[in-house]
Amino acid sequence: MRIIKTKNHLSVVSALAGLCLALVPAAWAHHSQSEYDLRSRAELEGAVTKVEWKSPHAWIYVDVTNDKSEKVNWSFELPSPNTLMRRGWTRDSLKPGDHIKVSFAPARNHPAIGIASSIKDGSGKALFTGVTPIYEPEAESRGAR
Amino acid sequence: MKTLWRAMLLLVLAAVPAAGMAQWLNYPTPGIPRLSSGAPDLKAAVPRTPDGKPDFSGMWFANVPSRDYCRTGDCIQEERMAREQVNLGSKLQGGLPYTDWSKEQMKVRRANGGREDPHTYCMPPNFPRAWTLPQYMRIVQTPGMMVVLHEFNAAYREIYLDGRPLPENPNPTWNGYSTGHWEGDTLVIETNGIRDDMWLDLQGSPITESARVTERLKRLNFGIMQIEISVNDPKAYTKPWSVTIEMAVQVDTQMLEEICMDNEKDTKLYSK
Repeated sequence: MRIIKTKNHLSVVSALAGLCLALVPAAWAHHSQSEYDLRSRAELEGAVTKVEWKSPHAWIYVDVTNDKSEKVNWSFELPSPNTLMRRGWTRDSLKPGDHIKVSFAPARNHPAIGIASSIKDGSGKALFTGVTPIYEPEAESRGAR
Repeated sequence: MKTLWRAMLLLVLAAVPAAGMAQWLNYPTPGIPRLSSGAPDLKAAVPRTPDGKPDFSGMWFANVPSRDYCRTGDCIQEERMAREQVNLGSKLQGGLPYTDWSKEQMKVRRANGGREDPHTYCMPPNFPRAWTLPQYMRIVQTPGMMVVLHEFNAAYREIYLDGRPLPENPNPTWNGYSTGHWEGDTLVIETNGIRDDMWLDLQGSPITESARVTERLKRLNFGIMQIEISVNDPKAYTKPWSVTIEMAVQVDTQMLEEICMDNEKDTKLYSK
């Protein structure tokens, strides 16, 4: 386990290091996700400012107040609208102004960007975002070494 | 009469929210075997066309069950992802038999964190990789042709069943050129003409212009289709190899287009 501190409050991060078969956030729909630190997880809460309901991944934007009482607009990647719709979402499930709590893995090289693993609305009800089992290529592709 | 109109109005008003809840996405698929509960009878007999051949028509997705994933008291559903999506040879002892050329290719592909994966760049869903991708497919089968529609980029693949031979000097394409013939209840699809720079999985296993691919489709029952994928690609692999994957029929749903270039943002995140 390790703790990663971000500039924002409510950041609690856990890690799943050392597992050959790990469960990590998000939908591996069309990319390797190596742009994210998938072994970390943080939580933030704030108000939705924008929803992009488009392929290949939906994105939501959330205003989060950091320790200095400054508003930071975070971007969170979600699965494709197709995947979300098949799990009961509609394009109206989240709207600007909604207060939500997001669990996510942070982007490696970009601040205030993450890939969401779960979202809870103001009442604490969880909305599906999906977790993807990541099979470590290193552990499997012996022939490629 | 007034009472009747009131009753009708009430019925209409009552129906409005119900219609709103009833997503078209979940519209029941007509003409499929069902249990008395109304659920699809996945173990029912293989559907057949009027000429007696197995009918593969319908929607398909890798046969991967979804599971609940619970941590710190919260449970969310796990995304369904075929193991072969990452490594097509994951079930082969020792993995795929890569040539030295392939190993070099994969070193580069993996060193770059997969950012050069054509799928990341929204390029077409190339078969046989496309069977394992996390979008739905629809097979439309006619006596002379099988068409596979793929949600990703609203793509299609044609497989000729009219007895024509494979081209001798094919123009390389993402899916190559495919013909199929029947061996009993198995549809055997032969493909050549694949581009030289294709990926077979997320870890970057190559497939090249020298490849000849054979896919043997067998529908085990209403619910399951088995596909044996055989690749003979002397440039990329030291010997021919075969893997078998399973696809699960998808009912009471329909195709949803997923145009990747619509809002692709991940490629920008790979760089600092």
